[in-house]
Amino acid sequence: MTTTPLRGRGAALTAAILSSALVLTACGSDGDSGDNAAGRSDETHTVKAGNGDIKVPAAPQRVVTIGNTDLPFIDMGGKPVGVTGVDESELSLLPEGQRATFEKATELGDEVDLEKVASLKPDLIMVQIPDAEFQKIEDQLGAIAPTVFWGLDTEWKALAEAIAEAGNLEDALDRQKADYEGRVAEMKQTYSDVIENTRFVNLDRYANSDPGTFVIADIGCVEIAQDDIGLNFPKAAAGADPLAYTSLPFEQIAELSEYDVITYPADAEGQPTEVFAPVVQTNTWKELSTVQSGNALGVFCPGNNSYGSVLRYLDSLDTALATLPAEQ
Amino acid sequence: MTDLALRRPVGSGTGTVSGPRRRLIGLVVALAVLLGLLVASMMIGSTAIAPTVVWDALFHPSNDIDQFAIRDFRLPRTIVGLVVGTALGVSGALIQALTRNPLADAGILGLNAGASFAVTVAVGLLGVRDIQGYMWFAFAGALIVTLMVLVLGSNRRGQSPVMMVLAGLCVGSVLSGAGSALELTNPDAFDAMRSWNAGSIVSRPLDMLWPTLPFFAIALLLAFAVSGPLNAMALGDELAVAQGVRLVRTRILAIIALTLLAGGATAIAGPISFVGLMVPHVARWIVGPDQRWIFAYSALLAPILLLASDILGRVVMRPGEIPVGIVTSFVGAPVLIALVRQKKASGL
Amino acid sequence: MSAPSGLDPHAGSSRTVWSPGTRRVDFGRRVLVLRRRRVAVRLDWRSVTVCSVLALAVACLAVLALMTGSYQLSPGQVVSALTGGETGLVHDIVVEWRLPRVLAALVFGAALGVSGAAFQSTMRNPLADPYIIGFSQGSYTGALIVILLVNGTYWQLAGGALIGGIATSVAVYVLAYRRGVQGFRLIVVGIGISAMLSSLNTWLILRADLDQAMAAATWGAGSLNGISSAQVAFGAACIAVLLLLAAMSSRPMRQLELGDDAAAAQGVRVSATRLWLIVLGVALTATVTAASGPIAFISLLAPQIGRRLTRTAGITLAPAALVGALLCLAADYLAQHVAPTPLPVGIITVMLGGGYLGWLLITEARRRP
Repeated sequence: MTTTPLRGRGAALTAAILSSALVLTACGSDGDSGDNAAGRSDETHTVKAGNGDIKVPAAPQRVVTIGNTDLPFIDMGGKPVGVTGVDESELSLLPEGQRATFEKATELGDEVDLEKVASLKPDLIMVQIPDAEFQKIEDQLGAIAPTVFWGLDTEWKALAEAIAEAGNLEDALDRQKADYEGRVAEMKQTYSDVIENTRFVNLDRYANSDPGTFVIADIGCVEIAQDDIGLNFPKAAAGADPLAYTSLPFEQIAELSEYDVITYPADAEGQPTEVFAPVVQTNTWKELSTVQSGNALGVFCPGNNSYGSVLRYLDSLDTALATLPAEQ
Repeated sequence: MTDLALRRPVGSGTGTVSGPRRRLIGLVVALAVLLGLLVASMMIGSTAIAPTVVWDALFHPSNDIDQFAIRDFRLPRTIVGLVVGTALGVSGALIQALTRNPLADAGILGLNAGASFAVTVAVGLLGVRDIQGYMWFAFAGALIVTLMVLVLGSNRRGQSPVMMVLAGLCVGSVLSGAGSALELTNPDAFDAMRSWNAGSIVSRPLDMLWPTLPFFAIALLLAFAVSGPLNAMALGDELAVAQGVRLVRTRILAIIALTLLAGGATAIAGPISFVGLMVPHVARWIVGPDQRWIFAYSALLAPILLLASDILGRVVMRPGEIPVGIVTSFVGAPVLIALVRQKKASGL
Repeated sequence: MSAPSGLDPHAGSSRTVWSPGTRRVDFGRRVLVLRRRRVAVRLDWRSVTVCSVLALAVACLAVLALMTGSYQLSPGQVVSALTGGETGLVHDIVVEWRLPRVLAALVFGAALGVSGAAFQSTMRNPLADPYIIGFSQGSYTGALIVILLVNGTYWQLAGGALIGGIATSVAVYVLAYRRGVQGFRLIVVGIGISAMLSSLNTWLILRADLDQAMAAATWGAGSLNGISSAQVAFGAACIAVLLLLAAMSSRPMRQLELGDDAAAAQGVRVSATRLWLIVLGVALTATVTAASGPIAFISLLAPQIGRRLTRTAGITLAPAALVGALLCLAADYLAQHVAPTPLPVGIITVMLGGGYLGWLLITEARRRP
C-alpha cells in the first residue's frame, strides 16, 4: 500500500529534477559559449573536497586523474591528460569512445610517477585513493597543481557531483542525472509487483575468490537495484556491519532455493562472466529449482561509479527482469 | 629385516626410534587414521548432509541435489587431497635424503618458483584464467626449472647436493623476481595469483587429476626403487660407491621422481609448502634413518596432515572456508615445535 | 618459507649451508700505515684503491640518478637546485623528490652491506642472514597489519614492521629455549613460526582489497618509492650510529674470522663478540626493513663482492658498505629508469642476487677440484 504514494513522490521528484536539469543545461550551454574565450582560463573558484576547500581553475584544460576519478571524469565527457593504471578487465567494459579517450591520456603507472605528473603540466589533479596513500603524495601533488581529493568512502553520486564541479562538467552531469532519474522512475513503475513480492539474492565471484567458493554480495551494481529501484535483496541485520559479501563454498549453492530470484554477473551478451562460470557449471546449480524455473538472471555490470555505466547496468537489469516468468 | 637393524644410525640415540615390529604397527595405525580421515572428509562440510545420503551418493547415485554436493565437491577434494598429500610427503623425503639436509623441501630446488612463474606468465601475458589451464603451465614450469638446476648444478664429476641447492636458489631468485615484476605491474595477474598462491585442493575436478596419475605412479615406483641406494649414500659417497651404488644414476632418478611428485602436486593444488618439509622430518624422528621406512611413513602422514587441515579449514569459519595451504602450517608447525622441544637434538 | 615463491624473496636462503671458496692467503702485500698520535691504522694499498674507485663510482651514479627522471631537467638546473639557486617545482623535484631517494639508496645499501658483513663473519657462512630467526616474515606480518587493517601512516608502518620482526624473533628464541638454546632447535622453531606467519601473510593479502594488497606487496618486495627527506634523515641517523658501532668492532670481527680458538688466544671474548655482531647486523637490517621493506640479497652480495675486489682473506667493512651502496643505487636506477615500468628496487636486487649465484656456480664451483 505504500507503493502508490512512493511512486507519486518519485514521479514528482523526477519532474522537478528534469525541469531543473533543463534550466541548468540551458545556463550551462550559455556559459559554454563564453568558455572558449582565453581570458576565462585564469579565473578560479573554490570547491569543497576531502582535503579541504581548494581553489581550482574555473575551466581546467589539463586534468590529471588519479585512482577512481578517471572513469567518472571520462564518462561525463572529460578528457584527462594523465591517468593511472586501470585493469584490462575493467577497461574492456568501457564504450568505444571512452576507451579511446582513456588510451589517449598518458599512463602514470599503478604507483603514481610524480615526475611524469609534473611533466604533463596539469592545471588540476583529481584523486580518489586510500587516505594513507594520499597522505604520502599530498604535498608533492600540491606543488604541481591544485589537487582535489576524495576518500574511498565517498559515494558514487557525490563523487560524480564533485568531479563535475571541479572539472567544469556540470551540464553533462545534469543530463546524465536526468536520464538516470527518469530510468529509475520508469523501472519502479514497470516492476512494482516484483519489487513488492519477490525475494532476490545477488551472487558474485571475484578473481581472488578461493577456488570452489562464490559470494553473496550486496556491494557493486546490486546496491543500485537495492537502494534506488527497491528490489528486495538480503540486507545485514540492523546494527550489524553491512553485509558487503559473504564467501560460501559451492556446497551452499543448494541452499539458494529459498530465494525467488537469483542475479549473477554476466557479460554484455548475457553469458556468465569467466570468473563466475565455475558456479554455473556445477550440477548443483543446474538442478537448483530457481535455475530450472528460469528465475536466475545474468546481469551485466559495466561499473558502478558513474552515471553512464550505471545506466548501462539498468538497461541490462531491465532486460533481465523482463524475462522473469512472473512478468510474462 | 636384519639389515634394517644394522642400518640404525650411529649416535641417533633417541628413544622414539623403534624396532621393525613397532614400525609396522605404527604404519598400520597411520593407515587406519588416514582411512578415518577419508571418511570424515566425505561427512563434514559447510552443509549438514546425513550419512545415509553420503552412502547413497556413492553407491546408489541419483539426481538428488545433496548427492551432487557429495559426488561433485567432497569426493574430488578428498581424492585430490590424498594424492597431493602423498606426492608432497614422498617428494619431501626424497629431497631431504638427496641433499642430506633434514630441513629441505622440494622448493629448495626452485621448483615452486618455476611453477609459480609459469602460472604468472600464463595469467599475466597469455590471459589464461582457469585452474585447469594453470595446471600444465605449472607442471612444465617445475620440470624446466629442475632441468636448469640440474644443468647449472652439475660439473664434470656429476652433481653435488650443495651445488644443486645453490643452483635452485639462483634460478628460484631470478624467477621469483621476474614473477613479482609481472604481478606488481599487472593488477589482473596479481588478483588471480594471490588466490593460486594460497594452495587449495578444492574445485579440482577429477578429470584434472587422471592425466597426472601415471606420472605419480612412475615417480612413486622410482622413489621406492632409489630408497635403498639413498640409504647407502647417507653414509657417504665413497662408502656408497664401495657398496656398488651408482651415484649419478641414483641422483638423477631421485630428481626425476621428486620433480614429478612435487611438480605434479603443485600443478594441481598450487604451492603447499610446509607438508613436504615437516612430514619426512617427523617421520625420521619416528622410524630412524632408513629411507624405506621414511618414505612409507611420509606417504601416509602427509595426506593425514593435508586432509585433517582441509577438514579443519571447512569447519572453523563455517559456512565459509580457509584454503588448505593456509591451514597446513597452522596445524603442522605447532606439532613440529612441540616435537622439537621434546626431543634431544636430531639431525639426519 | 620453504621456497622463493612469488613475494617472498628471502625464503629458502636461511636453510642453505655453503662454505665459501678457498680463502687466498696473500703475503707480501703493500701496506699503507698512517700514524697519528697513538693510533696507527694499517691500510692495505689495494683496499684503499678499490675503496676510492668504489666511492667515485657511487658518487657518479648518484649524480646520474639526480639527473634522470621523467621530468626533463638540464644538468645546470640540477646543480643550481642543489646549491639553492632554484625555487618552485624544479627545486622540489631535485631536492625534495630525487635527492631523498638517492640518499636512501646509498645509506640503506651501505647499511645492508655492513649488516651482511657482520653476519657472514660471525657465522662464517656467506649465505647467513638475519632472516633465519623469522625476522623477515614477522616484519612483513607487522607491515601487512598496519597497511591492511589499520590503514596507517609511514611511521606506523615502520613501527609495525619493526615490532613484528622483533616480536617474531623473540618468540622464536623463547620457543627454542629449553635449558639453553641449541642451534638446530632454533632453526626448526624458526622454520615453523615462519611457515605460520607466511600463511597468515598470504591470507591477509588474499582477503584484502586489491589496491591495498598491491601496495602491501610492493612494500614486501622492498621499495624506495615516495620516501621523504624526513624519513631518510631519521633512517640515516639510526644507521649512522649503528655503522659507528660496527666500525669499532671491526677488529674483533676480523679476529673472529680466524676461528674461535685463534680469536680467544688473541684475547677476544668469543661468544660475547659474536652476540654483539649479530645484534648489530639485525639492527641494521631491521632499520632498513622498517624504512623501505626488505631489500633482498644486498647483505649477501656486498661483502662477497667486496672481498673479491679487495682480494682480502676476510670480510672487510668499508668495501662491503661501498659495494652495498653501489648495488642499491644501481638496482634502484635500473628499477626506475631502465625497466619498462617502474618497479620496486627489491625485485631488481633479487634478480641480481640470483644472477650472482649463477655466475658463482659457473666460474668458481667448476674450478674446484
